[in-house]
Amino acid sequence: MHRRTVLKAGFGLAALPLMSRFAFAADQKPISFWYESASPENQDNLKNILIDPFNAAHPEDLLSIDFRGSDLDKQLRVAMLAGTGPDVVFTAGPSYVAAMAQAGQLMPLDDYAKKYGWDERLLPLFLDLGRYNGKLYALAKTYETLGLFYNKTLFEQNKWKVPTTISDFEALADEMKAKGLTPFGAGNADWRPANEHYVSIAINSVAGPENVYKALTGAIPWTDPAFVHSIDKLAEWWDKGYFGDNYFSLTLEQAFAQIASGQAGMAPTGTWNFTNVQTYFPQNNAEPGFVGFPSEKGDPIFALGIGSTLSINAKSGNADGAAAVLDYMFTDDYYSKMNSVWQGEWNLPLADLSKVKLSDKVLPLYEDAMKELAGAVAAGKYGYTTWTFLPPATDTYLVSGMEEVWLKKTKSADFLKKLDETFKQERDAGKAPAVPPRT
Amino acid sequence: MHRLYLVPTMIINIIIVLIPALLTVALAFCNWDGISPPTFAGLDNFRALAGDRVFWLALGNNIIWTIVFLTVPILMGLLAASMLLIVRRGSNFFQVVYFLPVVIATAITSRIWQGMIYSPVTGVFGLLKKYGLPIPNPLTQPSIALFGVATVDLWHWWGFLCVIFFAALRQVPQEQIEAARIEGATYFQMMRYVLLPGIRPTITLMMIMTVIWSFLAFDFVYILTQGGPAFSSELLSTLAYRKAFYDLNVGQAAAAALVISLFGLVGTFFYVRIQTREGEQ
Repeated sequence: MHRRTVLKAGFGLAALPLMSRFAFAADQKPISFWYESASPENQDNLKNILIDPFNAAHPEDLLSIDFRGSDLDKQLRVAMLAGTGPDVVFTAGPSYVAAMAQAGQLMPLDDYAKKYGWDERLLPLFLDLGRYNGKLYALAKTYETLGLFYNKTLFEQNKWKVPTTISDFEALADEMKAKGLTPFGAGNADWRPANEHYVSIAINSVAGPENVYKALTGAIPWTDPAFVHSIDKLAEWWDKGYFGDNYFSLTLEQAFAQIASGQAGMAPTGTWNFTNVQTYFPQNNAEPGFVGFPSEKGDPIFALGIGSTLSINAKSGNADGAAAVLDYMFTDDYYSKMNSVWQGEWNLPLADLSKVKLSDKVLPLYEDAMKELAGAVAAGKYGYTTWTFLPPATDTYLVSGMEEVWLKKTKSADFLKKLDETFKQERDAGKAPAVPPRT
Repeated sequence: MHRLYLVPTMIINIIIVLIPALLTVALAFCNWDGISPPTFAGLDNFRALAGDRVFWLALGNNIIWTIVFLTVPILMGLLAASMLLIVRRGSNFFQVVYFLPVVIATAITSRIWQGMIYSPVTGVFGLLKKYGLPIPNPLTQPSIALFGVATVDLWHWWGFLCVIFFAALRQVPQEQIEAARIEGATYFQMMRYVLLPGIRPTITLMMIMTVIWSFLAFDFVYILTQGGPAFSSELLSTLAYRKAFYDLNVGQAAAAALVISLFGLVGTFFYVRIQTREGEQ
């Protein structure tokens, strides 16, 4: 008798997880959304700002988020290939979208864009970036830029001016080095692709965004002297010791912490590092600064990057629900709430940021940087990050190839030759992401 | 009728081993990005690999890795196991200590070495630098990055060999050891004439397995250096992984996997031959 009771209780408990499915099966349509890794606080933010309010506003749908970790793209690829996967598809950038759209795994979003008025609400450039063969397949979840973080307090103490040209920038780096500081707070120990942040900076700031656009559209090869000069310049910065002795040993966060502590002078890196500002600057009684990256001509360069995109699975059982989730995110209210608690990952490409109101706790510097970037994009004065605009094999070669240049295993010209060959192969195979016309 | 007992194992083997293996062989002759339908490419993937200097670099690194693992941990394991046999006191304790790194998850072992030993900021190397003994992080030096990773794997691996060898040494007839002792054999004579011949089949097996495992090595390299800096610690497995999951070139990844399997097959051939010979004896 006792054993039977235990067995019954066991079966009862085992059936519990199924109960919720029976509960929503009758009246609510599930919407699944696989997300990459997020800290416990940010998982709570997603629950409080997205899941709960969305489900309350859409009683016919039931949104759930599954945190899949850093291997999300691999899991997604296998699932999509098998004809399953989530309803809302989160990809690591436009280069993944091109391949998935080519394989018919994503649903065209043009009808939903019309229905919800996304054409008016989103910056047109980002709609172009999500197009493949003329159809819209993805919306940018977050866009970012590369620039120059610096320690304002340290600059004031040393009476240093924020550089605007490459020659000023180099002179300042030399001065920092002479003072015993590491000019760049830089490291790639936990993320080797950090190398491409510097390549993106070099090709945009030295060769110029117009040349990068020409190379991306096939008008000039990557072996053009302008790019050779850019890569030579980046190699020169390495040789001069701007990157310090521990580039391959420091994690991205450790490297960024160096500028807050005054061990390093400045950090040529991306806006995602705003997340780390509050962690490191206040404890060092230092004030942060951020500007667009210096250039040969002196205009700041904002190289545009898309960290991730959102699409709808072609096999989705609830495409309307998934589209409603996308629509829910691309609003002033959602932007304001999410960016107030989680900066750097939810910089949605809204066309008009005037109604966005961020919490008082958010650094004005972050708001200013994002507004400046949005302005640069709207005016067509932006650069190109390699992880957004290069196809996958070209991009991965660039990461290791640049290390070879730095470590004198290959020359700039040979590196660019192989990069160009790989790029042409991938572009001919239709794997290159869309490049919107430059205005 | 009794053959029916084989059916469950056969089904598992066909689904888990045979079908993926055949698919890998087939994919090595296809162009496939892992997303759209594959197209036949003949020998293009193998030609592309043969023309890729990183492939040869990775193959060379795999050979270096195999040589390191055929010598260092086996010698360390043999030495420690023979010591455990001779000095019985505390042998259980030392067996546990030597075996402990084997049971720690690879990711944790890697992060411990990366953050607590090699790191110039948070590790022992950083501390040494502070006290005037600057040692560069081996993972950042192209000339020694592979050895830096191998050291971590060795630390994790040699205890396993030690315990295996110790178990084998305990099977050596006690009379032979006693007789050698009475005859006044030194430690080296005891090893050379009694202990090593007594455990030769175990050593051979471990060496063959080392060759196979060395070509499958992936985890430590992937976590610690991802094959860098500048491909200096790239192995065939990390190359295949990069091709499949970053370059979206599954065809070339499958071709690289076939090359890895070739070396494994050679090892398996010798293993089966030795097993058969022992069975006959």
